[in-house]
Amino acid sequence: MAPPDRLERVTDLLLVLLDTGRPLSLREIALRVPGYPDGHDARRQAFERDKKLLRDEGVPVATEPIEGDDQIGYRVDPDAYYLPDLGLDLDEQAALNLAVAGVHLGEPIGREALSKLGMGGRWPRRGAPLPVVDLPLVDGLPALPALFDAVRSRAVVGFGYRGEQRSVDVAGIRFRGGHWYAVGWDRDRQQARTFRVDRIEGLPVAGDPGSAAVPDGFDADEAFSRDPWHFGTGSAVEVDVVVDAAEASRVVTELGADAVVDRADDDSVVVRLVVTDVDALVSWVLDLLDHAEVLGPPEVRAAVVARLEAVIGAGARP
Amino acid sequence: MSPANDTATRLRRLLAILTWLAQEGEAPIDEAAARFDLTPAALVTELEMAACYGVPPYSPDELLEIIVTDDTVSTRMGTALARPRRLSPREGLALAAAARALLAVPGSDEDGALSRALVKLERALGDPSVEVELDTPPLLETVRGALDAGQRLAITYYSASTDQTGERVIVPRHLFASEGHWYVDAWCEVADGVRRFRVDRIASAAPAGPGPSEVVPDPPPSGPTAGPEGDRDVTGTAPRGAYVPGPESRRVRIAVDPAMVWLLETIPTAVAVDGEGDRPVWEVFVGGDAWLERLLLRLGPDTLVLDPVEDRELAPSAAARILDRYRPNPS
Repeated sequence: MAPPDRLERVTDLLLVLLDTGRPLSLREIALRVPGYPDGHDARRQAFERDKKLLRDEGVPVATEPIEGDDQIGYRVDPDAYYLPDLGLDLDEQAALNLAVAGVHLGEPIGREALSKLGMGGRWPRRGAPLPVVDLPLVDGLPALPALFDAVRSRAVVGFGYRGEQRSVDVAGIRFRGGHWYAVGWDRDRQQARTFRVDRIEGLPVAGDPGSAAVPDGFDADEAFSRDPWHFGTGSAVEVDVVVDAAEASRVVTELGADAVVDRADDDSVVVRLVVTDVDALVSWVLDLLDHAEVLGPPEVRAAVVARLEAVIGAGARP
Repeated sequence: MSPANDTATRLRRLLAILTWLAQEGEAPIDEAAARFDLTPAALVTELEMAACYGVPPYSPDELLEIIVTDDTVSTRMGTALARPRRLSPREGLALAAAARALLAVPGSDEDGALSRALVKLERALGDPSVEVELDTPPLLETVRGALDAGQRLAITYYSASTDQTGERVIVPRHLFASEGHWYVDAWCEVADGVRRFRVDRIASAAPAGPGPSEVVPDPPPSGPTAGPEGDRDVTGTAPRGAYVPGPESRRVRIAVDPAMVWLLETIPTAVAVDGEGDRPVWEVFVGGDAWLERLLLRLGPDTLVLDPVEDRELAPSAAARILDRYRPNPS
């Protein structure tokens, strides 16, 4: 007789573990699931391989202490394994599938997720191809899923950032300008803070579910300040910058039309920025080369001039 | 054993088929096979085997009901292996982020189905508060419209790597967002080749008649990140996003202020090389003088170009040029 297919053994194991109301010892499992070798060591080895396969596939195989000689039992809690049906209508399923097709996450993880929800396999193509969006998700961002899990389980997280240990109640995760950010309440600083996820050092360590204490009225969108020149802690100053036609369109796209206070016939624009970090603003203005000029206030204009003179001075040194 | 047929892959595929089939109720064998990249015979074999799984004292029917006829396969909703399963944090994040990202693309959810799907998904995930913002350059819709209609566009384009504004006629081929910006790969009639343009640097765009009737097959989009600047020749090169060399491109080695390393870390092509004492040394791929000028000015005065030494002149001369705006010299 041909040896039983391993897929059959693994599938049966999954069925038995799901169906049992109490943890089963390996001996009990071997009685119910055909295909395990007879010898104790060989059986243990085969079972451990199957258990690892199931866990690698995301099946929550729990290990629990039991009475008796075997001491350890195994089961899969159906509540931890199944998702309540989302009740997605057909058009909603199609829309989610399009999102997964159009957004490149750097790996097939979106497809795997759809499969678990009953939307696996290929979808027929229809209509014009959508624009494609690249979202860096897991490549180089091991902290991101952990932060996501912390937000949904309302758990406080600890992580290293700029060489310091932070303890943060994360209120939300935001993607902007090509980067992921975590927005939350920094417990040690007692302030709303934004952290760039790719600069988090190591893996965040989450506390118990429900341990987060985001202050009442905390607004993640408000806390996630719009622009880098807002990240500073100085007092806010309004800065006017004139941008010529070559860069005007891009700058207005970046800042939003609300920032425009004047438009000239030559298609240049004057934009007004609320700045708490003058260095960050100077950096932003210099990125526009001679297509932009700070009009005022004088101290910010002076900061730009000082930076330019320092660069010229450094170039003159031997 | 080939990776496509190892046990984990087969289990994953079996569960995917059953969970899908449970929602469909019944499906033609051909359709189900095509959907999961199997031949009809392979699909039938796999499902017929699975129909025999299940162990006493539970009858297979209770756990796993699969019916294979001559033309169709079906299963029953609610059987143990056909119910939707919980998502891992990575999977949940992937789905929520993908939906959010597409919603951030103007005009992508006109019937609202994606928004409704997202509400249901986020409720099941525990309201994780994930948001995705994408730029919406004013001419994005114009470019997308031309792409969908196969139209030529006459554009005014500012190239940041050369600091030049010019007129071109382009035929858009691919539109994509990467690293916070929208790009369009398009046939450029001036250059007679495929070029990449950053949409927010297109200052104006006007329809210029139908594009060529012969449609060049699209290369499959691939690769994560975006290229550095918008106007490189991308014909047959590197996946979207990889660095695309141009005539002025070169490697430049710089020593920087340690406090400014974060800025280099945001540049996809920048790599740290050996440090000199306490001054980190980095190598960047430079597309054009103007691009390097911007970088050096932002890095500040404590930056030294190590190689090529001719590039040491760039930052001071750019600084002097900008300073002219602040101190107009009457001449």
